[in-house]
Amino acid sequence: MSFSPYVPIVALFVLGALFALFSVSIAPIVGPKRYNRAKLDAYECGIEPTPQPVGGGRFPVKFYLTAMLFIVFDIETIFLYPWAVSFDALGLFGLVEMVLFIGTVFIAYAYVWRRGGLNWD
Amino acid sequence: MEDLKAPSIDYAAVAPILILFGAACLGVVVEAFVPRRARHAVQLTLALLATLAGLVVVITQASTRVTTAVGALAIDGPAVFLQGAILVLALVSLLLMGERKLEPGGAFVPQAAITVGSEADERQAARAPGLTEVYPISLFAIAGMLLFVAANDLLTMFIALEVFSLPLYLLCALARRRRLLSQEAALKYFLLGSYASAFFLFGVALVYGFVGAVDLASIHTAAAESDRDPLLLYAGLALLSIGLLFKTAAVPFHVWTPDVYQGAPTPVTAFMAACTKVAAFGALLRVLYVGFNGLSWDFTPILGVVAVLTMIIGAVLAVTQTDIKRLLAYSSIANAGYLLVGVLASGERGLASTMFYLVAYGFSVLAAFAVVTLVRDADGEAGHLSRWAGLGRRSPLIAGLFTFILLAFAGIPLTSGFISKFAVFAAAMEGGQTWLVIAGVISSIVLAFPYLRVVVMMWLSDPSDATPTVSVPGVLTTAALAIGVAMTLLLGVAPSLLLDLTTGAAEFVQ
Amino acid sequence: MDPTLQTFENDVWWIALIKVLGVFVLLLLLTLFTINYERKVVARMAVRPGPNQVGPKGWLQSLTDGLKLPFKEEIIPRTADKVIYFIAPVISATCAFTAFAVIPFGPVVSIFGQQTALQVTDVPVSVLVVLACSSLGIYGVVLAGWASGSTYPLLGGLRSSAQMISYEVAMGLSIVAVFMMSGSMSTSEIVAAQGDGREVSLFGLDFTAPGWYAVLLAPSFVIYAISAVGETNRAPFDLPEAESELVGGFHTEYSSFKFALFFLAEYINMITVSALCTTLFLGGWHATWPITLWSGANTGWWPMLWFLAKVLLCLFVFIWLRATLPRMRYDQFMRFGWKVLIPVNLVWILLLATVRVLQTSDLEAQTRFTLIGAAVLVVVLVAVLWPSGKKAAPAPSLAEQIAARPQGSFPLPPLDLQVPPSPRVARQVAERQPADVSSDRSEV
Repeated sequence: MSFSPYVPIVALFVLGALFALFSVSIAPIVGPKRYNRAKLDAYECGIEPTPQPVGGGRFPVKFYLTAMLFIVFDIETIFLYPWAVSFDALGLFGLVEMVLFIGTVFIAYAYVWRRGGLNWD
Repeated sequence: MEDLKAPSIDYAAVAPILILFGAACLGVVVEAFVPRRARHAVQLTLALLATLAGLVVVITQASTRVTTAVGALAIDGPAVFLQGAILVLALVSLLLMGERKLEPGGAFVPQAAITVGSEADERQAARAPGLTEVYPISLFAIAGMLLFVAANDLLTMFIALEVFSLPLYLLCALARRRRLLSQEAALKYFLLGSYASAFFLFGVALVYGFVGAVDLASIHTAAAESDRDPLLLYAGLALLSIGLLFKTAAVPFHVWTPDVYQGAPTPVTAFMAACTKVAAFGALLRVLYVGFNGLSWDFTPILGVVAVLTMIIGAVLAVTQTDIKRLLAYSSIANAGYLLVGVLASGERGLASTMFYLVAYGFSVLAAFAVVTLVRDADGEAGHLSRWAGLGRRSPLIAGLFTFILLAFAGIPLTSGFISKFAVFAAAMEGGQTWLVIAGVISSIVLAFPYLRVVVMMWLSDPSDATPTVSVPGVLTTAALAIGVAMTLLLGVAPSLLLDLTTGAAEFVQ
Repeated sequence: MDPTLQTFENDVWWIALIKVLGVFVLLLLLTLFTINYERKVVARMAVRPGPNQVGPKGWLQSLTDGLKLPFKEEIIPRTADKVIYFIAPVISATCAFTAFAVIPFGPVVSIFGQQTALQVTDVPVSVLVVLACSSLGIYGVVLAGWASGSTYPLLGGLRSSAQMISYEVAMGLSIVAVFMMSGSMSTSEIVAAQGDGREVSLFGLDFTAPGWYAVLLAPSFVIYAISAVGETNRAPFDLPEAESELVGGFHTEYSSFKFALFFLAEYINMITVSALCTTLFLGGWHATWPITLWSGANTGWWPMLWFLAKVLLCLFVFIWLRATLPRMRYDQFMRFGWKVLIPVNLVWILLLATVRVLQTSDLEAQTRFTLIGAAVLVVVLVAVLWPSGKKAAPAPSLAEQIAARPQGSFPLPPLDLQVPPSPRVARQVAERQPADVSSDRSEV
């Protein structure tokens, strides 16, 4: 009897999820409960907590920029994987194509760099 | 794995596209490494040279009739002609974009990310030179358009659609004056454009479901031979058409046009009105004539209704406009209707007349927007029509040129507008679409009214204090205006020059 | 015997189940062990005894800590988004467990009469499975930070997501070279590809040099090692939990067993990247040279020992780093990731590809020289055009700084103001650096 080799991955996933769910559900039951209003405030080292703006508020645009750059480079990486696996079969043609592709991404990269998109200050 | 082979590509045939893409990448490098002071000159030169080089290559390729890159691209008569048209019109648009005399720093914002109305914004509006990224962005758009009109399968077409749309969305947001309006326009264009792209993609999926392939030749064969229920194919064609008609600004997919035309920087508006129209109609022609020509009995009535609606609604709404850019936007919608009449005329005549119309209209509309950039007051361009009253007394030359352009739009003989409308309607008559011609003639009469109203206002009203001055155009705008007007006249007087060319080019390869 | 992908399709269901359970238990035990291991090693490095009370020599300390946590009160902040707050630690822990399904522990052995490989399963895209799990684990961190409804966790969550995705790119790129050399993304095949080393003769001594990719692809290995530390939020890259800035980072508001799950996930992730490092770069379960002199080294259950030894060695490096290096500043950290690791990686991949094409394909001499020339040209170009840091402009003098301040700035006291020394203090006022008063920074 044989089954897809992906099934054990799912099995381990289910096992891990069951364990995690079980432990987060059991903890409130077995733990003590001593109500104290101050405990339920957000923790900010004792000072009055900052009121949270609706929807999480605004945070620096740098994070968005990083996310966008991540997508560009992650997709580049994804393209590189199959290319790398069958590299020997592709030979010189594969090399030239990939040089062009990486070169194009590099142009964008140089632009972002020079424009300060990679600076964090 | 071992039999992996590189697809054979006819590099000479696709050279114009490659040149433009290469130049765009080079433009990004320039942007990164050339000092700020020199950037504008370098970028403008690079963009103009690249477009010119592309044009030269296109001209040398005039007799190419091949499909290449495993059938993904068809470099045939219409493709070469439309690529040439796009490049010529883009060249003129680039001249308009490069103008920096009219407004210190040019028509584009120096830093688009600065909050509108902030102190920094006021400082930059006053003197800082505009963004130079617009040139590489425009080059990407132009290259995408070149790819779009040559795309011979639906996926390539979709990629090209995105490649030329995304830069356009960006360009729309970069106006130096009235930045909120500009950003709003860009966002509207982006959202609606994404919907249209999604429709297109969905259409591709449905067509693929019916045919099992995405290249137009297979679609043609399957539409003719398959005995399955063609519902999927019809639905796919409908969705594809929605995506393409959105770009051509046909009713009922036109609502973005006035807002975007008004909000975008005027050179970009000119670029969109001229080049996008060519690209969108080029692709529409190819899809309908190559892929789905077997179904023309089925789609002609529906697209005919769209054409009639486009002509009538564009014309009627143009009458009510009070802003010159919105007026031109509705006029552009109505013109999309006339072009659709040409598309539906089918056959070589229809194809040739549509291509002629695209070029003729492109030059006129470029000239019209060039004039719009010139008529200014302290706040930038004077858009409201009432401000144009009495312009003829103040600056007879500019008002005269604008009058000529408007007459061309209205289709008065001795202008290219007359010839192109005549050609389209004649082709439609020949193709048996008399009802479209009747609707077209009626809407032309309606549409003449707003044009003539502007003419009357310019010449017969007395100038008031509010009448703006006409700025002295720089070399670049002068050149653009001169080319636009000259071509409008030339194509009106000696249309055979271009008509022969379009007739010679009017055949798709499968 | 080396397992192939076919081996895993022939597994009987109960063998697979035993292996799944085995890995699960092993991970829990390894976590408990690693926590103690870390505490003891760090303690030794700081010349103190470390945990030595609970159990033999203190080795049960982490177990008792873990058992204690469920019996602690659980506090959920009022501002928290309850559902997501609840689910975030589950995501983190589950993803951490799942990644281990494709790590190879050893060759084919016999369990209850069944021939099976010491690996839960293997698929053609195993390494992608590990990467996918580690990326999904980021959701746990981000959602935990966001759902807590508190400032420090939010900042910590954002920071860690930015950090993890930045270093994930570098990590993803660093293993491209491994795929290129082994021609596969399956972990067992990558291990097999590192099995055959070359015979090397050194100082009259014949021995087999390891076919490890850590040697052959040293730059990739270094980049992988660095980004693995960044990816697991470990010192010196433990900015999301920088307690001096952010209290506890994303898990500030977590208590009781939910906190324990994050803790568990962090340690399992550490073990996973160490195991992946072993698999991709350190030859997996293959024994290395002096051991290979014994012919039975790579058979039976022994390889699992070598594998665990290598993993523990990697973990030791993690701990060593923590004991030695101070935390980096966030901007330095991001700059390092984006401006050094990624470009170096890309250039290295292209160089490697060029060399490999030169080696394997039969090219004409002209093409060969063109290739070499192009490669050299690229390297030189990159070296020349490398955007160097701007030379720091000379610091403006105090007068210039004042002149550069925008209109309407706060008035300054006169610069030559002489404060008369207090008659009761007879010491001289120490000379100080001139203050920096430029309130408005110049725009780029």
